[in-house]
Amino acid sequence: MTEYEVVIGLETHIQLNTKTKIFCACKADSWDDEPNTNICPVCTGLPGVLPVLNKAVVEKGVLLAKAMHSDIRMRSFFDRKNYFYPDLPKGYQISQYDLSLASGGYLDIPMPEGYTRRVTIHKLHMEEDAGKTKNAGNLRLIDFNRCGVPLVEMVTGPDLRSANEAAQYLIRLRQLLRWLDISEADMEKGHLRCDANVSIRPKGSHQLFTKTEIKNVNSIDNVKNAIEHEVERQIREVEAGNRVQAWTLDWDEEKNELRKMRSKETEADYRYFREPDLLPLDLTQAWLDEILADFPELPLERKARFISEYKLPEYDADILTGERNLSDYFESAVQHYAGDPKKVSNYLMNDILRMLNESGKTANQLQLTPTFLAEILTMVDAGQINTSTGKGLLEKVETSAKSPRKIVEEEGLGLVSDDSAIRAVAEKIVAANPKEVETFRAGKESLIGWFTGQVMREMRGKADPKMATKILMELLKK
Amino acid sequence: MELCDRSAHELLDLLRSKQVSAEEVVQSSLQRIAVVDGRPGSLESGEETDQDRRTVHAFISVAAEQALDQAKAIDQQLAKGEQVGPLAGIPFSAKDVFCVKDTYTTAASKILANFKAPYTSTAVERLQKQGAIMLGKVNMDEFTYGSSNESTAFQPCPRNPWDTSRVPGGSSGGSTSSVAAGEVPFSLGTDTAGSIRQPAAFCGVVGVKPTYGRVSRYGIIAFASSLDCPGPVTRDVTDAALMLQAIAGADPRDSTAANVPVPDYLATLEQGVKGKRIGLSPDYFQISYMDAESGEIHQKPVQEDISAAVYHAAEVLQRMGAEIIEDVPMPNTRYGIPAFFVISRVEAASNLHRYDGVKYGYRTPSAEDDLRVMYRKTRNEAFGLQPKLRILMGMYVSAAQYSEQYYNRALKVRALLRRDFDQIFDKQGKYQLDALLTPTTPTTAFPIGAIYGDSVLMQYSDQFTVTANHAGIPGLSLPGGIAADGLPIGVQLLGPDFSEHTLFSIGRALEIGTQDEVWRLQKPAVLR
Amino acid sequence: MSEEITPEIFNHLVTLAALELDDKQAAYLRRELNQQLKAIHELESIPLDVDLKITTHGVSYSLTTSPVLREDTWLPHPNPGEILAQAPQVDEQYIIVPDIPHEKLD
Repeated sequence: MTEYEVVIGLETHIQLNTKTKIFCACKADSWDDEPNTNICPVCTGLPGVLPVLNKAVVEKGVLLAKAMHSDIRMRSFFDRKNYFYPDLPKGYQISQYDLSLASGGYLDIPMPEGYTRRVTIHKLHMEEDAGKTKNAGNLRLIDFNRCGVPLVEMVTGPDLRSANEAAQYLIRLRQLLRWLDISEADMEKGHLRCDANVSIRPKGSHQLFTKTEIKNVNSIDNVKNAIEHEVERQIREVEAGNRVQAWTLDWDEEKNELRKMRSKETEADYRYFREPDLLPLDLTQAWLDEILADFPELPLERKARFISEYKLPEYDADILTGERNLSDYFESAVQHYAGDPKKVSNYLMNDILRMLNESGKTANQLQLTPTFLAEILTMVDAGQINTSTGKGLLEKVETSAKSPRKIVEEEGLGLVSDDSAIRAVAEKIVAANPKEVETFRAGKESLIGWFTGQVMREMRGKADPKMATKILMELLKK
Repeated sequence: MELCDRSAHELLDLLRSKQVSAEEVVQSSLQRIAVVDGRPGSLESGEETDQDRRTVHAFISVAAEQALDQAKAIDQQLAKGEQVGPLAGIPFSAKDVFCVKDTYTTAASKILANFKAPYTSTAVERLQKQGAIMLGKVNMDEFTYGSSNESTAFQPCPRNPWDTSRVPGGSSGGSTSSVAAGEVPFSLGTDTAGSIRQPAAFCGVVGVKPTYGRVSRYGIIAFASSLDCPGPVTRDVTDAALMLQAIAGADPRDSTAANVPVPDYLATLEQGVKGKRIGLSPDYFQISYMDAESGEIHQKPVQEDISAAVYHAAEVLQRMGAEIIEDVPMPNTRYGIPAFFVISRVEAASNLHRYDGVKYGYRTPSAEDDLRVMYRKTRNEAFGLQPKLRILMGMYVSAAQYSEQYYNRALKVRALLRRDFDQIFDKQGKYQLDALLTPTTPTTAFPIGAIYGDSVLMQYSDQFTVTANHAGIPGLSLPGGIAADGLPIGVQLLGPDFSEHTLFSIGRALEIGTQDEVWRLQKPAVLR
Repeated sequence: MSEEITPEIFNHLVTLAALELDDKQAAYLRRELNQQLKAIHELESIPLDVDLKITTHGVSYSLTTSPVLREDTWLPHPNPGEILAQAPQVDEQYIIVPDIPHEKLD
């Protein structure tokens, strides 16, 4: 039986999270708006209007190109891609064709199995989004709100070898986009859209065989699912002696199946030519330096550093670099805390992450700042409070924004290490429990735990338990 | 002389010294329109009448009431001694490609006949901000595609005020007719291959194609976006300077509106031509044209009285202190038209994509159940032949398999045309010219119906003007005489980028130098 | 060069252009296209330097004469309703067009 290798390339459309659209001053995000309300003469292609490029789009595009190790062109061009479609008001899309913002590049994807897949980038360019259409019987309803939302289209080489690798690529891409704050990258909201080109070949072959294109997939799980279905289908076809045809396929999420899309009426000839309404885009070295001045350490680099510098387990490092705010939070807390970074990690992974999930906040929005967290950890280490008080403080600091030390003082949460106070309670417990004292003195010294518990209960947990044990031993052995 | 026959700068003097009111100025213009314009162009014009053949039909729509209201408001401000704009009270017309909020902007096409612009173009906005009053929109070739105005969907088409059996030229023929016939002192036109200068020459008025990027294109329905230049049509050079002053300059809504300061054009207007180096090129005294049968290119000299007028202008300028340099080679001039056939069509086809019956304008009443049929029927029913021709040619020469052969080659030829000008205007070069003096057109205004339909021959009438559009440089056409056929002759001044001030001062000098010549006394036929 | 726009090519162009022509129009337009094409072929005889630089505009723009890019600041259009009011068919804020009828798959 032939063994097959899967060959996948992904075309992604990334909506940038700028405030405004790429060529006009309408806001970019109109998720909650009524249809055709976030529009202007420019994005609806009225006669006579002209595009004016949004500076922030270029800046975010440059950040992405840098992160993908692409060569940034100091002069790039916009071109018109001409075709008729009712969601494209000008009858052409302003895009970049042969001399786009950046060329080449790659992203290394660490796979859960332990190997790394290098995915090359074939195309990276800026363009405008089209509007939305939906069907209603034999009519089509058009909403132009989305027209002109800035996009970066990024196309990979045929480098991915499984549905799972494709999913990992999208996971890492999404992480990167959010890390760089260039896209919200929410696939359900169409911020990140993905078409997959899929083909199979006998293992060992280096030829590229006929591919199919899967469109309209709106989650990473669905991309994985759709590719798996398509690979199985192609293998079935080939095994049955048929050829794979260059179809365009549509993923039906509800039925969990692929459908062949209507074949296009004519072969596409977009008749690209330079957009005469825009000048060439010139990046100066000064501007480029400014854009890249605060270019952050990327998640995978940071993960490696967390492992080597803070001796975190890989699992922790992965989670703590999943999102940039959390990662910055961790590092800041570690810097304010003299103890073991792993302890900080434990608090984050158990408690802080839960707080974030429940509140929907990001780590930088917490009132419980990294400094306050470090303060809590330091107090626990010093025996000034016990662990459960420490954990309880997390919520209290978050709701009150008061410093943990102040809360401990105000609420008297500190451990009592005053000998006479503990001794008084211990004497009372010993006096009140003659039977247990006798049993202890008869040799069952394990009862000391019970005595300590009684003291702790009497003092509502605020006694320093070590000191209570010491005093009780003294009294019982008298 | 009636008020409406006065130039804008004269009217401004009269208005400022309160000898006339803005209302009187507007009334005078409206009266002139009533006398000479005839019925406005419309989609259902019916049979052409004898009366139609005697009037100019410059306007598609006249906004009389609005204009009078604005005039009265300005008069009130003046009466109260309030500050008014520098052009307050001056009426103007705008070619119907300039979007003006809440008015119909049709591009003289059925496909936009019902389009009410929800915004105003920068050029109109700037004129209005200075207090100028828009009297109405003027007719043109459909989507500016033509050199005669015969292709408008709004018939009767504009006619030449000097002889109403002749075309006014085009595509800004409504603009030049309205100015020549005394209906308005100012009109806004657009020039893509000569569409301001050629009709200005045919109608005996002044037309300016500014440097590309000198005037914002925002709000102007596009023909060929890399070539289109909005500009002034006026009766004299001073008014042209005044009008360009108002509309020129950078615009945050047009990425190609150059960030170049606008000089004070009036300050240098009267500085004369002493020491100015003005060139004459043999390549601008002969035309190439294609024989329709053989496809061969023939050359012939321009109409004799036109070349005589240009040489006469050179003599006048020389007498006034300019240095005339002859035999300046402009070897690529003849390629301007073929290159234009390619570049303008590619851009035009793309610019016309948006007219699809979806968002505005005409939609076919049939074809309710298939989008593609709706597209086809809409575009077929509402585009005239000239837009269709440009769309198809654009489709052909920009198709992936042809674009290297045609489009990229044409762009290279454009670079050659630009180089011709760079060399003659080079301050270290052999010629060091301040301007090139040429005929604006190879002939005077041709009869209605004589060329219409022959798209190639029609295009070749732009041979001396299209070069400036390719190169991006400014051009000024101004009256240079009257030909034996009684029709105006235009002479053209071409200069380096952003040298409009120099062209104005040379043009003004030529006006002064010829002010006593007998042809200056002649008037358009409709005013006799 | 004797290239010609044949009826086949012409019909393809008409489809691409989303047009639909009667015979009379088609005959006129194809004839004019071929005339223009003859004129365009004149370009082929021109010797062109290899290093001739193509630009989109005749005027050259420098960094100082190029307009600055737009700042990312929201400026809502005052009257989007007027834009929608131009559309031939609107229902509940949506612009309406006919659908593309389904074709048989295979």
